[in-house]
Amino acid sequence: MKYLSLKLFLVLSISTTYLPAFAEIVLIVNPKNAVSSMTAEQASQYYLGISNSFVPIDQADGSPIRVEFYKKITNKEPGQVRAIWAKLVFTGKGRMPKEMASHEEVKKAVAADPNAIGYIDKSALDGSVKAVLNVP
Amino acid sequence: MKRHFTLAPLALLALLPTLAHAINLDESGSFTLTGFYSLTAAKVLGGSAQNAGKTWQYQSWNCPCTIQNWEYTGVYQKEKGWQFDQESLVGLQFKKEFTPNLSLTTQIISRARNPNKGSTPSIDWAYVSWNPVPDVPVTVQVGRMRIPLYYYSDYLYIGYAYPWVRPAPDVYGWPIYAYDGASVTYKQQLGTSDWAMTASAWYGNFTQKNNAYDTLIYYTTPTHESWKKIAGAAVTLNNGIFDVRAMIMKHRDNVWQDGPGGTRVTIMDNQFTRIMGLAANMDYKNWIVKAEVDRFEQVNPDRGIKNIYKYALLGVGYNYGDWTPMYTMSRYTTVTEPIEGRRSQYLSLRWDFRKDTALKVQYDITKDKSRYPYPFFGDSRLLSISLQGVF
Repeated sequence: MKYLSLKLFLVLSISTTYLPAFAEIVLIVNPKNAVSSMTAEQASQYYLGISNSFVPIDQADGSPIRVEFYKKITNKEPGQVRAIWAKLVFTGKGRMPKEMASHEEVKKAVAADPNAIGYIDKSALDGSVKAVLNVP
Repeated sequence: MKRHFTLAPLALLALLPTLAHAINLDESGSFTLTGFYSLTAAKVLGGSAQNAGKTWQYQSWNCPCTIQNWEYTGVYQKEKGWQFDQESLVGLQFKKEFTPNLSLTTQIISRARNPNKGSTPSIDWAYVSWNPVPDVPVTVQVGRMRIPLYYYSDYLYIGYAYPWVRPAPDVYGWPIYAYDGASVTYKQQLGTSDWAMTASAWYGNFTQKNNAYDTLIYYTTPTHESWKKIAGAAVTLNNGIFDVRAMIMKHRDNVWQDGPGGTRVTIMDNQFTRIMGLAANMDYKNWIVKAEVDRFEQVNPDRGIKNIYKYALLGVGYNYGDWTPMYTMSRYTTVTEPIEGRRSQYLSLRWDFRKDTALKVQYDITKDKSRYPYPFFGDSRLLSISLQGVF
């Protein structure tokens, strides 16, 4: 019995650990923004500071959703993304995305700024924001 | 034994915790401190020069030697073994945001060795940044900034932002590298395409008395240089894979020395100068390609001046997770006798071994193509190791 519960615990913890990799991420904008869809390439431009037509909002540094989002959208590791921002920040060409601690905070920040763009787990989506891309 | 001991400071620094975010200097989060550092050690493994013995002297340097930084005359000498002070630096950036559209930024860099201003920290950047029209991506900056001449010029000292220990010294070497003036930058997505454009223009002046580049590398007596009416413009196009940049800049160059009795000995008088640069980079899947060609022209037949420099670099790298190995070649040459020129090849490896921190190792082979009547810096082989990061 003890053995079985340990096994169950292991199975559960493994599935929990891997859960973020299966979660679906949605890119969101303010409902007032006229944009109805966006490509991954366009989103990448905003999150790498190449274009500032949208104000990107980030999830917490080191969070699984952030690592996965950047990997899928920009095909870059966190260190590569940081290197790109280091150039912009120290030459006065950009401002690093504001970091939020949770999906709720990201939604709140996006709902408050017509030019903001964010990403959250699809399960957290509600009417306060508008989804423009299902990140595959 | 001594070698292991001298590397200890680098190893110690790697153990320090890095900071995840900008440090807030006030409660509202509108006053922040960020920074960067490069701790570079390098050693000349060998070298030679035509018409010279096993060792020779060039200006104040004992060679075999190699110049790796022209702005601050960072020169490694074989007889000195591992040297830590030629390129190492720490930079602090203070930024105060008054409103979302108005901020003040100052960047102070402390160098292990700074012949331009003793070893006192230098203010490399100090500017007000202003977005005059909300929601229009135009930024006006006024103050002191680095000249965004070639692709890496304005972030030459932000080692964490590029794959090498340093951008090719064959291409990046100037007596004047900053300006006091203003710039305008406009960023725009091109329609609904994946391409975004950044266009910028700048204007300003800069004077460096007792300029290290002029004085220590060429003239040996205190020499001053002033770039007047610097006017430049650059356009960058980027689609996430390709990044192409074109730049043109003009200025009036003045070089002089102090003569006896407060007189001025003119070396270059208000000379029209034009500098052009074209860079094309690719970042596709895991492949990285970096290419650049540049040209400097100072031509005045009436005065017998024909200073033309041509520069180029080409590098190919591959990103394996935290590892980025890269092969790069670069060169520069003047076109009139006596020719000054150099060709280099580098093998570099960047390892992002922890958050916000990269360790880089680089091996450089440099061939001196200069045809001066005396031995110049000569050929060299250099091994460099650098710890570079941001906070």
